[in-house]
Amino acid sequence: MSNCTLRLTLDTHQRIDMRWLSQAINAGMTSADALQLSIKIGNKTSQVSDVFTLTGELTATNIVLENSSSSCDYIGYQLPAGKTINVTGAAGHYAGAELAGGQLIIHSDAQHYVGCAMRSGMITVNGHCGNYLGGAFTGQKRGMAGGTILVKGNTGDFTGDMMRKGIIMVTGNIGNYCASRMIAGTITSLGSVGTHVGKNMRRGTLLFHKLPQDLPATFTNCGRHNLGYLTLLLDEMRKHDSEFKLLHPMRRRVQRYMGDTSVAGMGELLIWIG
Amino acid sequence: MNINGVVIDDTFSEAFSMRATRIVITAINYKWARHAAETMTGFATSVIGCRVEAGIEKQLTHSETPDGRPGISVLLFSTDRKTLQAQLETRIGQCVLTCPTTAVFAGLYTEDRIGLGKNLRYFGDGYQSSKLIGAERYWRIPVMDGEFICQETTGVQKAIGGGNLLVFARSISQVLLACEAAIDSMTALPNVILPFPGGGVRSGSKVGSKYPALSASTNHRYCPTLKGRDDSVLDKNIEAVMEIVIDGLTTEDVALAMKVGIEAICDLGKSQGIEKITGGNYGGKLGEHHFHLREIVGE
Repeated sequence: MSNCTLRLTLDTHQRIDMRWLSQAINAGMTSADALQLSIKIGNKTSQVSDVFTLTGELTATNIVLENSSSSCDYIGYQLPAGKTINVTGAAGHYAGAELAGGQLIIHSDAQHYVGCAMRSGMITVNGHCGNYLGGAFTGQKRGMAGGTILVKGNTGDFTGDMMRKGIIMVTGNIGNYCASRMIAGTITSLGSVGTHVGKNMRRGTLLFHKLPQDLPATFTNCGRHNLGYLTLLLDEMRKHDSEFKLLHPMRRRVQRYMGDTSVAGMGELLIWIG
Repeated sequence: MNINGVVIDDTFSEAFSMRATRIVITAINYKWARHAAETMTGFATSVIGCRVEAGIEKQLTHSETPDGRPGISVLLFSTDRKTLQAQLETRIGQCVLTCPTTAVFAGLYTEDRIGLGKNLRYFGDGYQSSKLIGAERYWRIPVMDGEFICQETTGVQKAIGGGNLLVFARSISQVLLACEAAIDSMTALPNVILPFPGGGVRSGSKVGSKYPALSASTNHRYCPTLKGRDDSVLDKNIEAVMEIVIDGLTTEDVALAMKVGIEAICDLGKSQGIEKITGGNYGGKLGEHHFHLREIVGE
């Protein structure tokens, strides 16, 4: 696998718009050309070469982003299949937004809107994430539409807001309003989940260890069941290097709740038994 | 050429190009998986009358199935993709969906796909839901014992149908003994099925009939009760002929099945009343696959 290393040389609290990187990757630019692109930092425009150093060619399959901070927004925006971005530090907002088959690995925390409207691919966050993980852009009606997000920490509120397809796996806790306005897809957590889960959830699956706090009255209890498809889902989840690997694939006895009955009511909340 | 006294005829078996698919049926135990598999492969001996040829390929352990339960893999063959699709849907709907605790999955992953649960999902009357796991979509249809899980599509590939062996023996019991030995060896192989009852055929057919409405009729030249006729191919000491028909995913699969079948028959030998093995063909004009018996046994 060929490598390219990108290093942030600027220490700033202003937002750094990383969409230039996607523009360069998707256009197949050389590193020399990419360094000439303009970049927005706060409300000012600079040149990439003023802010980053680049070693190797951007056509490499693996791009390492060093010294990144929580100011770097849109890392991995529209990243295509066959490309990997390894972020050794933290990531800002909209990391992996509209991801298009690529792989984004963030070795620290990420801010809000991780995997926003992503279409396919894989995002791994080794730290915590902010709000609206797998959500939609403000004003848009569809969130994450495919792929997998694995968070090896906690996530904030509105996780999976308007999520359309794909899997969100969280080894830690999830905040309030999880799966709000969810259209379809799967969200699972090994930790606890906050209040107001599944508000206006139409379809999709929530798979948790513990019953969330204050389950809305619009979720109805369907009893205990062995659901065969959970083995297929668990097999898929166990492919990734995380605590989900420890789950037994035949662990498919669950308490099933249907909701949100105030909307379509075809969503399900499953709580593992035993 | 003869092996252990059994004459291997210098001829070939003529087979046809078909389209095939494989599905995996799982259930709470083998008993119910087998009930579903046997029911859906019933009345599937010949494309002439059944539109599809189907059979159980093998039993799968829980570690070999997608949902970790005991399973059975089934192969289905038809003359074209459209018929295969129609037959598959009908048979899954009537024989697998209805069978307690079952689920059904794709057994072939080729680029060309046909619907498995794609249309069956409408049985769910709006209560069905799908789950996209990896690259595959699965349908969950609520039924009275929980959920029926079926994969949306399964793969289709070109395949071979109608490979055959004809066994000549001095009595019915001896020809059955030989064919049963061959069938046991052949059914142990992957990628092939023997679609006729128990793997054997006693009503070998020829193309056409004196009755215009019929496209096929008894192959009278192989019928021992007519061996006094001039056009009979049977010697006076032959009292029974049995055919084994083989469908396989590739020519290599069919050839291997024929080889192990011939070897099993020849192991019994002439001393057990087996006189000859030959192959059924139409002069090479109808089927594009020719399996020369002597080449197969490695003359």
